[in-house]
Amino acid sequence: MKLILKLPPGGSEGIVYSLPFGFAGCGDECDGVFAVTEKEIKIYIDGELEEVYNISDFSEFVVRRGIGTSFIQGIAPGGEVTGFCGFTQDLFPRYGEVAKLLCHYIRTDELIKETGAEETVCPKCGLPLEGSSECVFCKSTASTMVRLLKMILPYRKSFTIAVIFTVLSQLIWVAVPFLDRLLIDKYVTPKKDSIAGILLLAVSMILLMLLEGVFEYFNMKHSFKVSLNIGKNLRETVFRKSQQLSMSSISRRTAGEMINRISNDAAKLEDFITANGKDAIVRILSVVLLTGLLISLNWRLALLTLIPIPPVLVMVKKLNDTMKVNYTRVWKYSTRHSELLHDILNGIRVVKSYGSEDRESVRYTDASERLVRANIRAETIWYLTMPFSFFMVTAGSYFVLYFGGRNVLIGSMSVGQLVQFTSYAAMLSEQLFWLIFIPRTFADASVSAGKIFEIIDERSEIMDSEDSRELDIKGEIEFQNVSFGYKPYDPVLREISCKINKGEMIGIVGHSGVGKSTMINLIMRLYDCTEGEISIDGVPLKSISQNSLRSQIGVVLQETFLFDGSVYDNIAYADPAASFEDIIRAAKAANAHDFIVKLPDGYNTRVGNKGYQLSGGERQRIAIARAILRDPKVLILDEATASLDTRTEKQIQQALDRLTKGRTTIAIAHRLSTLSSADRLFVLDKGRLAETGSHKELMSKKGVYYKLVMAQRETTKMRTAV
Amino acid sequence: MTETEELYKVDELKLLDCKKIHLTHEKSGFLTLEYEGKVYHKTDPTRLVPFFSKTTYISLSYEDEEKEFHEIGVIKNMADLEEEQYKILDSYLKYKYFMPEILKVYSIRDNMQGSIFVKSLTTAGEKTICIKDWYQNFRMLTDSYLYVNDADGNKYFCEDIHRLDKKSLSVLEMFT
Repeated sequence: MKLILKLPPGGSEGIVYSLPFGFAGCGDECDGVFAVTEKEIKIYIDGELEEVYNISDFSEFVVRRGIGTSFIQGIAPGGEVTGFCGFTQDLFPRYGEVAKLLCHYIRTDELIKETGAEETVCPKCGLPLEGSSECVFCKSTASTMVRLLKMILPYRKSFTIAVIFTVLSQLIWVAVPFLDRLLIDKYVTPKKDSIAGILLLAVSMILLMLLEGVFEYFNMKHSFKVSLNIGKNLRETVFRKSQQLSMSSISRRTAGEMINRISNDAAKLEDFITANGKDAIVRILSVVLLTGLLISLNWRLALLTLIPIPPVLVMVKKLNDTMKVNYTRVWKYSTRHSELLHDILNGIRVVKSYGSEDRESVRYTDASERLVRANIRAETIWYLTMPFSFFMVTAGSYFVLYFGGRNVLIGSMSVGQLVQFTSYAAMLSEQLFWLIFIPRTFADASVSAGKIFEIIDERSEIMDSEDSRELDIKGEIEFQNVSFGYKPYDPVLREISCKINKGEMIGIVGHSGVGKSTMINLIMRLYDCTEGEISIDGVPLKSISQNSLRSQIGVVLQETFLFDGSVYDNIAYADPAASFEDIIRAAKAANAHDFIVKLPDGYNTRVGNKGYQLSGGERQRIAIARAILRDPKVLILDEATASLDTRTEKQIQQALDRLTKGRTTIAIAHRLSTLSSADRLFVLDKGRLAETGSHKELMSKKGVYYKLVMAQRETTKMRTAV
Repeated sequence: MTETEELYKVDELKLLDCKKIHLTHEKSGFLTLEYEGKVYHKTDPTRLVPFFSKTTYISLSYEDEEKEFHEIGVIKNMADLEEEQYKILDSYLKYKYFMPEILKVYSIRDNMQGSIFVKSLTTAGEKTICIKDWYQNFRMLTDSYLYVNDADGNKYFCEDIHRLDKKSLSVLEMFT
């Protein structure tokens, strides 16, 4: 990523980073430069050096995203904040990188001049790259297509057969006008009474049509074999890859986007290979063949047919682009109309209870009218332009009819030849009309292919190293000077050092957003720490294979996710080889057996989509049974008993007590009373480990934990009073 | 005081007396507010209805050390502030809500993949605004108010597209 975009008036000497900005620290608009040298930060405003700050006077640098602008600040060791400048959002990634590098400089005394960070926007079109190394919109269509075509190689035999049969079927269509010519010239024009000859031609036509049907059958059979197999391979590869990607890669994309890539983009490519890709080859061959035939029949007439075609095709393409915009507009209004309908009908109770039926009717009518107006406009343009463009494409044929007709009259051409010629001319127009849209079809397929290849090619940020190994975990975890931020310039955890002993139960407490769940994510290696190291039993996490690590960690979260299957399937998810008895034992230990027995189909009861046929407490107990069955060495409880009523919480707490016995357990809970059984508590404050100790020790210390407990007691008192 | 009265007291909209407001710039980039003998550091003014009113209903708030939000009160109309105070607040809000206004639209290119490139003249100069998912990020908030959110997160607006010149309006027509 370029970190020198605009140099200060003095030139580049000694400048490490230099970025432009549009707002002074006080917020006034200006033309400024934020320049960093090895020792100082220099602020230039309207060409003049305005401020100089010593980097060593600060302990931290942060960028904050605002609404219309963002700004960079320096924080002194005493907490005093200095705002350097404000800038527009397009500069945010660059200032973020500078802040991160300056923080690194302060901590390590190493000033990194060449950052390894990649550009965030495409230099060609300016659209965000979103983690890709190449812009999917600007990527060379040819290279993507070549890669796509390579996927055909395993099925080349079927593909070749499909192409051959398509060519044969096209040849039959080319032969038909020739038979027409024979019929006209030999029998119709001379009025020759030869039934045998006419019959022979009619039989030939029937046979040709039948043959065409047979060719089409073989063509489609092999085409589908190729496309469906390529689609299947693509879907499987993308799905497998999506399972291997790191959490940060996955969280960059929504579930909908991933589903779209796995299903829709693959389907688009499937279609492209079945229809457009193969057809393009055949249609190009047809164009060459038909042009050759037209020239051989009458080169003068051929020129008359061909000359108007290129400019007309360009015009048709332009019209088509206009139509595309209009139909997109229709789609936009149609989506808004459906959204509104969905919204009103879903909230019908609210609408009725507030008596706002009339108001909603007006809103609906308005959306409906807009949709109608957009539709009328699009259809009007379509029916105004399309007949005209079709007329233009076939304009050559009218010249042919005139000049060809004259040739027939003067005897230099037969009627049959003219009919054959016009038939070929019409066929040629049809092929060209189809081919005109091929660039768009290619571009569309290329974007879909680009999106699919982007996932396939993405390098997971969390990779097993070559020497990573299986480890039989005992349960001792150590954080050594660990810092981490989901965005590197915005650290969530800072310099955390602590040790969790084997079999110990640790409670992590602190305000919302302080980094409690982040600590857990790091232990599970869903993310790698930015700085420092985490080790288990003295072995760095990065040296343990991810599979080995995660197979020995059990997790119970606040929001339990159950798959759409039976209760049995969901418990057995932790260990598909477990016996039925093991599953019952786990369910009993989780206090789940009793409610499962009462379900109509016992362990075979379907839990429904995301388990919504069960209550929150029931889902939680199934999750605990799942964790018990896994028999993990390290257990993680993330707000496992939050949002449950007292009775259910008691049952779950009992189950958890059984589960945590003898295992290294790390628990997060907002309700501090649920962590009373913890051996030690880690108190996080502003991303740092502020205090550690037992409940008693921390209470007597009267620090951060004491304040948290007191604040919570106050809230409980208020609730009881109400 | 009855319970209901007390409830309304808690939810009361605290309108600030503009004559008592004294704002100054802080080194951190935020503002410091002195109001009725109290000093509030890192005061962050917020437009409550940013699209439709730039100088009325301005909330003044701050976050304490625990990052807890505290609203000091609301300025009903900035016009009631003293001139210097108005200037300080206005410049802060213009900076916070920096949103160039579109004055002319020269052309709009559609890449047919959901993104458009709007070549336009704005109050921040001539720009080609790249917009991803244009049907979400290039939209009319009312019949006349155009709101644009570009691929980088910069925002643009046109308060009344019908006041634009004929050519701009015809270019815009396809996409609004």
